[in-house]
Amino acid sequence: MPRPSVTRRNFLKGTLTSLGALASPAMSGLNAAARRLTRHLPWYKQPATITYNYCDICPWRCGIIVSSVEGRVVKIDGNPNDPKSRGRLCARGQAGVSYMYDPDRLKQPLIRTGERGEGKFRTATWEEALDYTAEKLLAIKDKYGPESVAFLGHTSGDFWFTDYFAQAWGSPNASKPSMSLCTSPREEAATLTIGRAIGNHEPVDWDQARCVVLLGTHIGEDARNTMMQDLANARENGAKLIVIDPRYSSVAMKADVWLQIKPGTDTALLLAWMNVLITENLIDSDFIARWTVGFDELAAHVADKTPEWAAAITEIPADQIRATARMFGEARPASVIVPGRHVVWYGNDTQRMRAVYMVTALVGGHGRPGGQFFNKTPFLEAYPHPPFQVAGSSGGCGAAPGEESDTLSPGPTGKVRADGVRERFLRGATAMQELIEPMITGVPYPIKGLVTYGSNLLHTIPNVPRTIEALKALDFVLTIDILPQDHVAWSDVVFPEATYLERHDELWGCGHKTPYVTMREPAVPPLYDTKPGWWMARELGLRVGLDSYFAWQTAEEYIDRRLSSLGLNLTKLHEQGGVMVQKGKPYLTDFEADGTSPFGTASGKVELYSEALAAAGHAPLPDYEPTPDGPAGFFRLLYGRSPVHTFSRTQNTPALNQLMAENAVWVNDATAAELGFADGERVWLENQDGVRSGPVPVKATPRIRKDCVYMVHGFGHNTPDMKLAHGKGASDAMLQTRYALDPISGGAGMRVNFVKLVKGS
Amino acid sequence: MASRYAFSIDLDRCIGCQACVVACRTGNEVASGDAYITVSEEIRRKDNGFWGSFAHKRCFHCTEAPCVEVCPTGTLTKVNGLTAVDMAKCSACGYCTQACPFHIPHVVDNHVSKCVGCLDQVQAGEEPWCARTCPSNAIRFGEREVILAEAKAKVAKLRERYPNAQVYGETQLGGLGLLMVLLEAPGVYGLPEAPQSSATIQTWKTLVKPASAGLTALAAGVMGLAFVFARRQHAKEHAEVHTAAPVEAAVVETPAQTEENHD
Repeated sequence: MPRPSVTRRNFLKGTLTSLGALASPAMSGLNAAARRLTRHLPWYKQPATITYNYCDICPWRCGIIVSSVEGRVVKIDGNPNDPKSRGRLCARGQAGVSYMYDPDRLKQPLIRTGERGEGKFRTATWEEALDYTAEKLLAIKDKYGPESVAFLGHTSGDFWFTDYFAQAWGSPNASKPSMSLCTSPREEAATLTIGRAIGNHEPVDWDQARCVVLLGTHIGEDARNTMMQDLANARENGAKLIVIDPRYSSVAMKADVWLQIKPGTDTALLLAWMNVLITENLIDSDFIARWTVGFDELAAHVADKTPEWAAAITEIPADQIRATARMFGEARPASVIVPGRHVVWYGNDTQRMRAVYMVTALVGGHGRPGGQFFNKTPFLEAYPHPPFQVAGSSGGCGAAPGEESDTLSPGPTGKVRADGVRERFLRGATAMQELIEPMITGVPYPIKGLVTYGSNLLHTIPNVPRTIEALKALDFVLTIDILPQDHVAWSDVVFPEATYLERHDELWGCGHKTPYVTMREPAVPPLYDTKPGWWMARELGLRVGLDSYFAWQTAEEYIDRRLSSLGLNLTKLHEQGGVMVQKGKPYLTDFEADGTSPFGTASGKVELYSEALAAAGHAPLPDYEPTPDGPAGFFRLLYGRSPVHTFSRTQNTPALNQLMAENAVWVNDATAAELGFADGERVWLENQDGVRSGPVPVKATPRIRKDCVYMVHGFGHNTPDMKLAHGKGASDAMLQTRYALDPISGGAGMRVNFVKLVKGS
Repeated sequence: MASRYAFSIDLDRCIGCQACVVACRTGNEVASGDAYITVSEEIRRKDNGFWGSFAHKRCFHCTEAPCVEVCPTGTLTKVNGLTAVDMAKCSACGYCTQACPFHIPHVVDNHVSKCVGCLDQVQAGEEPWCARTCPSNAIRFGEREVILAEAKAKVAKLRERYPNAQVYGETQLGGLGLLMVLLEAPGVYGLPEAPQSSATIQTWKTLVKPASAGLTALAAGVMGLAFVFARRQHAKEHAEVHTAAPVEAAVVETPAQTEENHD
């Protein structure tokens, strides 16, 4: 690392050069000429090619403009036409260039030669790798049925495998971590309560909001481009901001009130807020009368949930609970609790999320300016194909949740999802973590094949030892990825994929206030011997008898056909700036005008009291359920995001690694001092089951409560093939050997693990 | 082109996402390991809770720029309010690194490294990369008068919540070309109330430069003296620079993790 301060040698040299400059302009001129020769022309002074794309570095999917010079991608900017990026982009999106040119990328198809997990492979041609994969998949299908191949995907190209291929092939066991390991509770709670999906873009009407609540959401550290823009603007416009977090997060700095809640007690706070709103009449009675059911039951339910009651549970003073409830109520109906994204915390998460939507409902915030608007999915016809063998149930940020919850679609040999839905949990998208057990036990039926696409299994699914046991037990594992992530070593075949900057892809249609469709076109041809996901899916499909589903030859042909339903094609969409924005229907008044209801529940109203939950044997009104404390000497493990990293995906990206190469463990400074740990000291983290990760530096800080520790998710990569990320930091996923299954949504609550700090580096 | 440009950074809006850092790096093709911008957290205890903000470390584009005054090769010049760098002229003498009261310029790979206000972009009618991308729109760029008026208006708005809110840079060093909307007094952010150039630059200004104007021979002699003096001064400052860990700490460490607790 260069030191900016002057070294003695440089100083002498510099002084001599300065003397030279005084004495001999000719000499200085020579020096300058030599230096000019070594400096190349800046990229922006050369002719650049512009392509349109949507960012794949995080799931927010901002529309971007990609500049390339002489076949090299040089710069990525937000697309001003795009409703998400609005011409701006976060640090990670800007670093997409660095992600693409990561020298550690997977470069050729690989076939395993050593034991699974050893990471020993030989290179193969695409022809060979595809033929071999097809043979293995067909063997599993013949012996066990197509349902016995699971498809686990993530990132924006997962559509081709987790949705399209899986449904054509006939497996209901397709899943994405964006559901049961992230948003399932909020989606099921929304479906049950307001009869609508939240979807990829949280429908918060920031522009007109007067009171915004962030419940465990740390915007800024969780760097969703649009939300950062919206938050700054909302505050500028005078909106009050209430941040609830056990940790003084970045966004807590911006808050009018920060409530340092005891982890796991959020529902108690929400119930007390409802108590105050109702008893102090800070509610929207007209909205409640017209658009809700079960208000009387709710009022009775929260009558004894006073701020004093909640104070004892949440460890937030009663007067603060009362004051924040009033702040929220007085701004009605322009008040909203941001639904948040990663909401799988304690296992009772659907009930908590119902309480979130109910608080907003009491102040009439649903469909009112400044509250929670109604998003709309863009119109875009599917490419015509034969009926799928099985209905999709993988969900995903961009899908319409709820569809998969009514009926369970059986695969071609009559088997429904193997994740235990209807038995161990009620409804929702396929629960990824619940597909692991059948791989080991064969119950309810064997899962013998696994196709993973862009999903870092060993940094995503809790209980890593169990996942490894499952990977050992499988007959066949195909991995499609950009980087040699930790799970790649457990594959039989590896397909190296071209990044989003090197390929065409499925269109991105986003449910939004103004629904829109964006495109992805390659900025440059794929590096190395990598291929786009659509190409792999098609080539594999042709080899396993799915020809009729892949009638198109190229992605362009497929996309053009879909775009024709909008009177467009790829060329035209490019010419109009890469984005097609449609009209939305965001407000209650839009529905009142045509006499319809925006609420897709059975009653057509906001269901404060849920008959559907009561009928299924669940509490029809949310209760506070205590989550057990950890053993003595252990701290609850909390985790979150960094603005310069996405999940476990970008730690090896040079431009981002430079900004944050490892994570630290936040420990209350007084607690650290009591235990004899100094700020910056490297420690191991050991969980309640004796699993260790680290070492990581201690960040001793007063900003966190004494009963928990916090770390940024996604570090602690084991593979030496990711040279920058290897061995850096601790893995929260590794320490999450337990989880609490949400009995409603199948979400895996992961904040039920506890760690202690162990000396030694 | 405007006659006098300026940036402003509104620390009320900034959420510390570091988009500016990476946009600057990629847009300007900044060498790996180097940076023109660093962003760090400033957290303090306040009453029963905390006070927090982000701090940006980057060129202030001073009007009376000590770095420009001290630069012997004409590498550093003022162009429309921005402090420009002509890399081809740089001899890596490091005078600027000593003269800057904010410890901003640094020598990397044998040339000076610092923000140049994306002058190429500005001359092409575009905004600098950082201002263009900033998701919270905390970074503004434009005619200095307009930017200053905007910053003052923001401060007036902020006073209710932050009684010490102020614009930093209106008058310092002839007026800075990077105005900061601060929520607290400059000292809280580690900024000097009245930034001044170091003794070295004063020596240069009062002795060397006038002397060198006409009297080349004498200049050589004075230069020799100045050299000896500057060496001593440098040795002294070298130690200070390192204990204070200014620029290099911010560049080398991970800014998101960098934080000062003052309790």
